[in-house]
Amino acid sequence: MHPESGKEGSGARPQESKRDPLSREQVRAAGLEGPVVQALRAHASAWLRAATRTEQPWLLHVPDIGVACEVLLADRLLRDLTPDERASLHAWIRAHQHESGAWLDTRGRPDHSLTVMGWWACAECGDDPASPRMVRAARVVHEFGGAQRANYTVRLWLALAGHIPWSWLPSMPAELWLLPTAAPVSPSRIAPWARGLMTPLLLLTETRARLHLVSAEPLLLTRPTEPGRQDQERVMIPPRLFRPGLVGDLMLAFDSALKLAKKIPRGPIRRLALGQARAWITQTQQPHGGWFSARPTLLCVIALRVMGAPYDDTRIRRGLDYLRRARGLTRVDGTLHLAQGLTTAPTAALAALATYATDPRRVDDLRWLISGELRERGEWQRRTNASAGGWPHEQDARRYLDIKSTCAVLDALRAVEPSSPLAPEAWAATRRASEIVLAMQEPDGSFARFERGESDVWMARLPWRDASILAAGPRFDRERVQVTAMVLHQLARLGWKQGDDRVARGLAWLERRCEGPGVLAALDLLTLRELALCCAALLAPGHPLRSRLERTIRARQRERGDFGGPVATALALRALLALHGSLCVQSERAARSLGESLRALPPAPSGAGPEVSEDPVVLDSLRVPGLGLSLHAHDFALAVKAITDAALAVKRHGGTI
Amino acid sequence: MTSDPAETHYDVLIIGAGMSGCAAARALAVADPEQRRRILLIDRHRGAAPRFAGEFIHPRGAQVLDDLDFLGPLLRAGAAAVDGFTVLERADGRCVELPYRETAYPRKRGVAIHHKTLVQVMRAVVRDTCPQVELREGVALHELLRDETGRVVGARLERRPRGELFTVRADVVVGADGKASATRKLAGIAGEREIIGYTVGFLLPRARVPSPTHGNVILGARGPVLVYPIQQDPDGALHYRLTMDLPRELPARGRALTRYLERAFVPFLPSPLAGQTAQAIADASAAGRKLELAPTVNLPAPSATLPGLALIGDAAGCSHPITASGMTMGLRDAELLGREAARSHGRAHGGPWLDDLALARYRATHDRYVPTRQVLADAIYEAFRGEDEGARMIQRALFEYWIASPTARARSMALLSCAEGRPSVFLSEYLRAARHAVRTSLLPRHASHFPVSDRVRQVYSAAALARGKLGRALGVVWSQLRPDLSGSFNGTLDSLARVTRLG
Repeated sequence: MHPESGKEGSGARPQESKRDPLSREQVRAAGLEGPVVQALRAHASAWLRAATRTEQPWLLHVPDIGVACEVLLADRLLRDLTPDERASLHAWIRAHQHESGAWLDTRGRPDHSLTVMGWWACAECGDDPASPRMVRAARVVHEFGGAQRANYTVRLWLALAGHIPWSWLPSMPAELWLLPTAAPVSPSRIAPWARGLMTPLLLLTETRARLHLVSAEPLLLTRPTEPGRQDQERVMIPPRLFRPGLVGDLMLAFDSALKLAKKIPRGPIRRLALGQARAWITQTQQPHGGWFSARPTLLCVIALRVMGAPYDDTRIRRGLDYLRRARGLTRVDGTLHLAQGLTTAPTAALAALATYATDPRRVDDLRWLISGELRERGEWQRRTNASAGGWPHEQDARRYLDIKSTCAVLDALRAVEPSSPLAPEAWAATRRASEIVLAMQEPDGSFARFERGESDVWMARLPWRDASILAAGPRFDRERVQVTAMVLHQLARLGWKQGDDRVARGLAWLERRCEGPGVLAALDLLTLRELALCCAALLAPGHPLRSRLERTIRARQRERGDFGGPVATALALRALLALHGSLCVQSERAARSLGESLRALPPAPSGAGPEVSEDPVVLDSLRVPGLGLSLHAHDFALAVKAITDAALAVKRHGGTI
Repeated sequence: MTSDPAETHYDVLIIGAGMSGCAAARALAVADPEQRRRILLIDRHRGAAPRFAGEFIHPRGAQVLDDLDFLGPLLRAGAAAVDGFTVLERADGRCVELPYRETAYPRKRGVAIHHKTLVQVMRAVVRDTCPQVELREGVALHELLRDETGRVVGARLERRPRGELFTVRADVVVGADGKASATRKLAGIAGEREIIGYTVGFLLPRARVPSPTHGNVILGARGPVLVYPIQQDPDGALHYRLTMDLPRELPARGRALTRYLERAFVPFLPSPLAGQTAQAIADASAAGRKLELAPTVNLPAPSATLPGLALIGDAAGCSHPITASGMTMGLRDAELLGREAARSHGRAHGGPWLDDLALARYRATHDRYVPTRQVLADAIYEAFRGEDEGARMIQRALFEYWIASPTARARSMALLSCAEGRPSVFLSEYLRAARHAVRTSLLPRHASHFPVSDRVRQVYSAAALARGKLGRALGVVWSQLRPDLSGSFNGTLDSLARVTRLG
């Protein structure tokens, strides 16, 4: 037994070495927070207000420009954007263009698909394709092999615009929608995001939809019909739909056969299947008006329109309203822009801010968070043996469980005092959530984020070039590590220990995932922090994983004591304090470095606008997984959360910032 | 009684004046209506032992208390009558009532009372009604005395706190000194005593519990929570004891433990009980009081007798208190010892009151019911704790089995409350629960398309657990059949010998 166990960072620490760190609540109650933490709390409050106001909220998760481009292209059909919105979205897209002409991915490399979409959206908004900026962008696209070789989304839009034939998109038989949900190739087996994408896509493909958009032909690479004859009519170079290799070739042949078979009249079966897809779209619209997130919502709205729904159809109006609510302000190079988010305000970010912003004595500060709990059955329960509960990815969603959001809310609910009138509700919600997170464990021991089996999609194993969009990431990616570590950490806080087989299996999965040279070093600091909190709560000091993790984080410290920017330093400092259990030389240096960088922290916003801009220095630390094809987003609430959490942890261990 | 002669002889020396010791003293006194015998009852503590201990007694034990005239004084002292158990699968989940009234046992109510009150009242009854019994508090066992054959013939006792030693001779020494029995250790009876966890208890005055007159078992937290009434005021208001089960590796100590309890147990209790429990924890923390913490011990029934020595109550085997059967077992031991004493009552004074034959009969009967209780408690605890998939499946199966049929509830409750001891009933209940476990493992409660691989894994886990317990279940059946078989075998041998002699 251990005197300090039950607290973070003290799994079974030797009794003589460290003194008890105070809890977060004790630090607050004893008035030990100090001016820095109180200022950070004020920031969190201001962010929370800014993110939840109805008029032009501050966007907490800022994705890449892809969705905004699609919204601008779709507006040719939907006619929903006001001129101001259109101009502001356009300006935001332009603001992100690199001087090389390309739009960059999160690692700073030119992104083929984003560049196509950026060029096209700008052209759609009136930019001259002959302008130097647009020409540079077109050159980048040509260097990548033309627009037709970009990702699935781009080819979908090219097909919608009539630039490429629909046959250049992988074929999906409509009859799949008639299969029972337990069938391995049923659409219910693919990830929820992909389901929201594939169903409207089926309808668009089957109806051969066509949008009249500005021409993107300058982006398509062509070749002469006869080699060496430049004067002849040119034809586009078709993309390869399947990965090279024998299996890929066979799949190509199968795909061709499928497309040929589609030409055979199939009568009622096809009609039934399309009816099923249409019914799915109607049934799965969520109370907030959207589908799984912005991109599926956009496609569903287009599909409904293409299938004949009038412009003022309630489903379309609600979908468009949702897309509008998913937009928010962001600042790039000092200028405010409107950006299209992947979702409305994400629950996880709001909960993280609420953890530090709210006063637990004020009941209404957290009641809104509890009221967002899922209380209806959803598709996620098909393979998850748990009753309804937990929290969705965004407020007012009712169909899709999100385990990361659930963990964030559980963390926020810890602030509810037992004497609070809110306590019974908070406890009941906690109870349900704990059962659900446990039920989301996969057979391999890891935890799923949205649905069980989301990363183990049978169809995604085919050598199809775009197969990855059917699954919610690979089974061993860092997102899965983060979710598993977060779940285990929350379970540990609720009293679960290694003796429970589910916790033991989760830890074993993490150990398997993190073994091998260089694996931990390849993980980002946000993932390392989650891992550190999990290991500190559940593994004894000296455990190989815990020791390797501590060494990995320590090795990242720079000469000045920082870890590469205030957010990165805060994440690493928190992880070090959890693993070591007390302040050490390195964590004290990191705390000093963080304190110095906090001097530059601007005052809390008065509500007029955001105070942290899309600064490339901090963006890298704020990267969080996005949804679907937008693989990454930047979580600006994370900055406030990480810094406040680290500052509080230093205070808890008796240090100063 | 005021002075201790150098060596005093008693018919029976009882070590431990807790519930079992007092009950044994009273049972022996009742078996000696002419008051020809002398019984010495000692306890190391003046007043009741400070540690929080058992408080719940099933109807079978309440009957013993009634027979020994303890029940009336206990009820007058505020003991609460209990009607059975309710088991909540989760705070807001399914609830199964296991009432005593559905069992075949004639008494339909048990009793629960604060342990210290129980011991004080029982000692007072012994003092007032048993002139043969000499009760000495603040006297501890120092050493057992043996003759040249190894037979226990008395004990060296220590008067506390002075440490003065004196010797007492006795025909029989009865060890009733609980799970950490010094008697058992000094007698050299091997016992595989193992601490399996800790129980922390809180008093909840006038708490609002799901079933006020039942023992409420609430699952879903890190260990089972038991809430039962322990005191009834004259106006009928009930006060409760809430116990939480903690693992052997205590997750925290001191103030950190109170924070752990708030996080790991309180949210998993039904409202408003959760709020009352949180308040009790906060009050204890604010007042700087130590939590009432007692180890839970598993002690597979050791040999309950040696020549000149008998063990009763927890000293003769104990298990997790989840089935609340420890007190009832102790009372049955006392009753059994009294019955053997009554059988030997007519014997001429001079020889030992409880001779080897009487102790052998005591042991044979004791060995029948104690393993049953231990295996049941072990299995129920493992299922209710739910730390592995098989246990969770068994837990769910138990619920569905109980919900499905009143007969199932009655049979299970009869076993759990020590009112049923037939091996056939035990074995059939075991097999039924195992069959339900396999069936429920295949059928998820919520998922509409639960993967086949998950179902197979659940079935495998449940079957593995059931298979692991099968050996112990068969051991219980054997322990119940063995005395009959050996008795009939010995009887056959005796008959053969007689026939041979006659021939």
